[in-house]
Amino acid sequence: MFTQFFGNYLLRKQLVTPEQLSEALKIQKNTRLKLGVLAINAGYMTAAQVEKAHAEQQRTDKRIGDVMVEMNFLTREQVEELFKTQPAGHLLLGQALVDKGCMTNAEFESAINSYKAENSLSDSDISNADDEVAKKLITNFYSFASKDESEYITSYLSLLFKNLIRFIGYDFAPLETISAETTINNVVMQDISGGMNMSTMIYGEKSALIEFASRFSGEDLEEDDEYTQACVSEFINLHNGLFAVNVSNDHGIELQLEPQCYYETFDMVGLSRACVIPVGFSFGTVNFVIQI
Amino acid sequence: MKILICDDSMFVRKKMKDAIAAADPEAQIAEAANGQQAVDKYKSEKPDLVFMDIIMPVKGGVDALSEIIAFDKQAKVVMASSVGTQENLKQAILSGAYDFLQKPIENDDVARIISKAKEA
Repeated sequence: MFTQFFGNYLLRKQLVTPEQLSEALKIQKNTRLKLGVLAINAGYMTAAQVEKAHAEQQRTDKRIGDVMVEMNFLTREQVEELFKTQPAGHLLLGQALVDKGCMTNAEFESAINSYKAENSLSDSDISNADDEVAKKLITNFYSFASKDESEYITSYLSLLFKNLIRFIGYDFAPLETISAETTINNVVMQDISGGMNMSTMIYGEKSALIEFASRFSGEDLEEDDEYTQACVSEFINLHNGLFAVNVSNDHGIELQLEPQCYYETFDMVGLSRACVIPVGFSFGTVNFVIQI
Repeated sequence: MKILICDDSMFVRKKMKDAIAAADPEAQIAEAANGQQAVDKYKSEKPDLVFMDIIMPVKGGVDALSEIIAFDKQAKVVMASSVGTQENLKQAILSGAYDFLQKPIENDDVARIISKAKEA
């Protein structure tokens, strides 16, 4: 989930444009991590040293690892250790942006360091990316009305982003919350009752929802029909169900889900306190709404 | 083997049909989109096994389960829900459910239950 919030950070700091981020999210799965990005991330080399090593490599035609060792920027052991590094998502995203020429190594270095500092994250926090880290990122990113609300919304969103990664893909960035519009289109709604009353919704442009449904179902869907709506609808039902299981286990509160409803247009009057969370995928934006 | 799938989502019904066909290509499959339809279809079709969602319009899965068990004590009804809380699990077992599946349902779960039902 660190990758997704790092993507948003790059947008917020205007280090990349939404188009560049969307393109990088698309190509990151085919991106190969280069030693320079790994060394910068590990704090072994500065971007300036990476640039110097690249210039030297072009002159001598040696392998980049050998060049970096010869120039005393890295030890042999460090090179081996870096090659064994698992390709963490945020590094793939950074590499894709560097490869595309959207960012330099130096810009990547400063962005990753300031992002870690801003969120007080250590390297092990990032690679473990457990629940607490996810919740810390969410709490730092969004501001919610009350403390009680904040706890549940944070758990809800932490699980939502996990489920998006699990069922849809990792090529997204959470965007800043927006205030509820008066009417919204192409909406699936599910109410939650019992120990807590919540309304939840998912909506967006038809083209984005069709791709969302295709990914969720593992099928190639092309039309906005009843089946596509059923796929989107099942995603929210599945997510809300798993949330109810967590709330029951963690807080001993039993929640009941109501059957989902689809609306072509929905009037948001009465949901004035709703929190609208847009999520920017490489195929378009899908919005999630929660009101407690 | 005759199997009844009851879920209000046409997406889930399709995935279940695919999973059943993969586990038992000979299976005859009937469908229902809410609890009331499931009770009616159970009475008319007498399936050997039922996969039943819990949250559905018109009549929910637990009520439908109770009605089916009242009609046929031997009915094998597997509850399949995204809300696998202890409370739902307890309610399902007390109402006579044969098994409980947490969604998303994996093909292996469906295959396991079909072979368990065949052995019984």
